[in-house]
Amino acid sequence: MKTLILGLGNPILGDDSAGLKVAEIIRRRMTLDPSIEVSEDYAGGLRLMERMIGYDQVIIVDAICTGIWPAGSVLCLNPDDVPTQHTASTHDVNLPTALQLAATLNLKMPKRIRIIAIEAENVLDFSEHCSPAVTLALSHAAEAVLAELQ
Amino acid sequence: MQRITIDPITRLEGHGKIEIFLDPEGEVAETYFQIPELRGFERFCVGRPVEEMPILTNRICGVCPEAHHMAAAKAADAVYHVDPPPAAKKLRELLYSAFYVTDHATHFYALGGPDFIMGPNAPVAERNILGVIHKVGLEIGGKVIQARKCGHAVVEMIGGRKVHPCTAIPGGLTKGITEEQRQEIEQMGRWAIDFAQFSLKLFDDIVLKNSDYLDMILDDAFTHRTYYMGMVDEFNHVNFYDGQISIVAPDGERIGKYVPREYPDWIAERVEPWTYLKFPYLKKIGWKGLVDGKDSGVYCATPLSRLNAADGMATPLAQEEYERFYVTFLQGESDQYTTTWQGKVVHHHLATHWARLIELLYAAERWVQLATDPEITSDKFRAIPTEKPTEGVGIVEAPRGTLTHHYWTDERGILTRVNLIVGTTNNYARMSMSIKKAAQKLIHGGTIVTEGLLNQIEMAFRAYDPCFGCATHSLPGQMPLEVSIRDANGTVVECLSQYVK
Repeated sequence: MKTLILGLGNPILGDDSAGLKVAEIIRRRMTLDPSIEVSEDYAGGLRLMERMIGYDQVIIVDAICTGIWPAGSVLCLNPDDVPTQHTASTHDVNLPTALQLAATLNLKMPKRIRIIAIEAENVLDFSEHCSPAVTLALSHAAEAVLAELQ
Repeated sequence: MQRITIDPITRLEGHGKIEIFLDPEGEVAETYFQIPELRGFERFCVGRPVEEMPILTNRICGVCPEAHHMAAAKAADAVYHVDPPPAAKKLRELLYSAFYVTDHATHFYALGGPDFIMGPNAPVAERNILGVIHKVGLEIGGKVIQARKCGHAVVEMIGGRKVHPCTAIPGGLTKGITEEQRQEIEQMGRWAIDFAQFSLKLFDDIVLKNSDYLDMILDDAFTHRTYYMGMVDEFNHVNFYDGQISIVAPDGERIGKYVPREYPDWIAERVEPWTYLKFPYLKKIGWKGLVDGKDSGVYCATPLSRLNAADGMATPLAQEEYERFYVTFLQGESDQYTTTWQGKVVHHHLATHWARLIELLYAAERWVQLATDPEITSDKFRAIPTEKPTEGVGIVEAPRGTLTHHYWTDERGILTRVNLIVGTTNNYARMSMSIKKAAQKLIHGGTIVTEGLLNQIEMAFRAYDPCFGCATHSLPGQMPLEVSIRDANGTVVECLSQYVK
């Protein structure tokens, strides 16, 4: 099964870099099957959908700002669980719309997409570091990604 | 006083918030448009080598990393007092033209265009790219994806990466392109020209031939008589990568042009107590508040402003469209501009969507022009800096407006100070005015505030293609559009919402 683990985020915007850091942890510390690709990207919506073309399963890791959960909480979601996510870095549509577009156009999309989301504390101040709560959650999120693999 | 809040704007990236205060009669008293600001970028940069800026600043924003990459590279050239060789400039502009095609196409089909193609009163769920496909046909979806794919491919070939290009350095680029790549780029560019022409035809058929839409474009609620800004080449034709910044007054008179290092003589920034974001304005005219007219320093930096600030387009097909644009809007008055288009101006803000498509065509034509330039495969793509670094300004036209980067370094090239004026910020004053004007036109005492009505207010400012999201792209748990109307005591008397669970 062709699998992509995709960390999303901005490396210089505090907790927004959480997804990238998780991808880095997985790449450096964990032994994976060669059919699993680990990568980083920045995008949501159309760009994210385009990135996923051709894979059987994709696990996305990203920061999330629900304001509901304590910072550092790790959530396992389906794309539909976040119906109004807007992935604000992109000049773009939201992911569910992009996935519907892919289906409409018959593009080869993954059968399975899971999102591992880490509740962020600060995504407004430029910094290469995550907040302490999010830093503590990174390894936990990496394990959650591996647990999602099929 | 009643209060209406639109928070955030649907399909606008970032977290903008509009508040509309009504007087006791239910008329619009005041509107405020607030944006949370990303903090600490200057502090983050100070102490780093200036040559890192092209790769650092393109992380500010996931929407137009290419624009930041180019402005930063040009500022770093200026800091090192080095002039890149012609092939480097052409390669940078080629990358940038391909990026423009991708960006403008995405805006028209996925963000701004659906308001027109589907109509402002269509349900929210239909006003997106899926609705556009449903209405226009399946093939259009494939074309949009293809346009994006071509643009990304060129960015990767010249910029080294699909997202966040990394090859521009002080004095040029780290790499060139091969003849094989050039041929591929040319082929994709020719396809992009067809795509741009198809898009203009679509705009013609759906928008311009629909009198309701045309009336809306011409409506005074979407009209502002402000100054206009845009980069031009030596013939006063629109250019996105290099040239002087032309400023045109509301009556069409060009009041001057400036080179990048002169921007502090032209642009000043106004601080208001109710928002973190500053309002840039024309220093020579002065700040008179959020008002239009020749005495107010408020200006606009968008596709429409670039067309107004120039006298034409540098490529033949785009020039034809440019002329058709002005003939359409100026009607009988256009006869006086038969020899030169200097002095003409269009103030209808929603015409920006058409202007954006004309720029799309220009970008595609420029793409092919540059891809067929004999110098483009030259191996002379870098001049080694020999001067001591000091201070420099780099300006490009970002899709969302003129983008200015200004760096100061010590003699080792280590940054001591950074100042950026980003595309959308230029339009902050005018956007605030647009929102107020649309609200004043569309909300009256007896009028029920419907979703379509609120969307028209949003339309007023979506035409600017605004982007405040800059870097953050975290997934929010929800993206509500909530409207609360408050009475004079602040009590909520009515709530309207969309996208709220």
